[in-house]
Amino acid sequence: MSTYVYAITRASHPLKVDGRTGVGERPAPLRTVRTDDLAAVVSDAPPNLRAKRRDIEAHETVMEELISDGAVLPMRFGLIAGDDTDVERALAENIRPYGALLADLAGKAEMNVKATHREDAVLGEILRADDDLRRDNDALRAAGGGDHGDRLAFGERVSAALEQRRTADAEHLLALLRPYADRERLGPPVEGAFLNVSFLVDAASRAELEATIARLRTETRWLMELNVYGPLPPYSFVDVAPYESEK
Amino acid sequence: MTVMTQSTGGGGGNRGSLYDVLELILDRGLVIDVFVRVSLVGIELLTVDARIVVASVDTYLRFAEACNRLDLTNNSNSSTLPELVGDMTEKGAEGKSKGALSGAAKAISEGIQKSNDDADDRRERTQSRTRGTRSTRKKDDAE
Repeated sequence: MSTYVYAITRASHPLKVDGRTGVGERPAPLRTVRTDDLAAVVSDAPPNLRAKRRDIEAHETVMEELISDGAVLPMRFGLIAGDDTDVERALAENIRPYGALLADLAGKAEMNVKATHREDAVLGEILRADDDLRRDNDALRAAGGGDHGDRLAFGERVSAALEQRRTADAEHLLALLRPYADRERLGPPVEGAFLNVSFLVDAASRAELEATIARLRTETRWLMELNVYGPLPPYSFVDVAPYESEK
Repeated sequence: MTVMTQSTGGGGGNRGSLYDVLELILDRGLVIDVFVRVSLVGIELLTVDARIVVASVDTYLRFAEACNRLDLTNNSNSSTLPELVGDMTEKGAEGKSKGALSGAAKAISEGIQKSNDDADDRRERTQSRTRGTRSTRKKDDAE
């Protein structure tokens, strides 16, 4: 039976996993694999695991329960080791980088920010800012929309202007928000959002970041939807490469 | 299902749903190279879709039609827009104009409190749940 890995913690983490379950159609009981310094929270890996909602939720729930008791390195969803011995070996081989990373993450959480333009509002902004586009828009409208080729060419120019606007607004938001963060990392592109970024923050900075975002949201509501999610396990801040030299 | 249900004390926090941060759980997180990872092919394709949808014929036509529909003369925000446009294209928070974003930053530095923030936040969260085609599409795929 192969082993599903949820998270890595220090061995001193309370690791309250008794009675808790993880992924699988019949949720598998959690257990721990320990070395002197580190611990991994694992369960049996269900056969034919895929990214089903039930299992992603189970993965995230395990993380939420662990992180309230101490620093956690959250694994990416779906990571499977051959068996517990393989997990133990991975812990033993990475004691120093994982330990250093856990020390750096102690007391900090990830906050994810997504910003999405309201389409009519941002298109209005683009037309107001560009005399040529505005004139051509008026001409197309006067022509009852124009022919297919005209509309396509006009829409392509609007799209290019929108892309510039997305970049500019993303940079502006980042400049306003990054002073609160220890670290930042852009998230994968998600549909619609012109900005998807995660910040690593301590508790005090988190409150300031949230207050800033609440105010920005009010001020820019007419133009964009601005949301912050968290505190999250630090999914975006577990790159061990900078710590590899400590191996 | 909520993600980290800890209260955020009326700030900008958003409990959201799992699907609001799905890409982090699936694309970020620690990986150990010697371990196997389950296939997420369907979900990763949706992420690629999101990138190319911006530059498609359908999108161009939609933008053209949306622009034609806009009434630029009758907009409740129009009095602040010229300033905002200038400000939003500046980089950084030190813009001199009084656009909405730098205005917000100023308000923050002055510690001005708005008592209606909490209620607004709640409304916003409700709205954001009913929006979000990405979430819906990923949800469908993941079920």
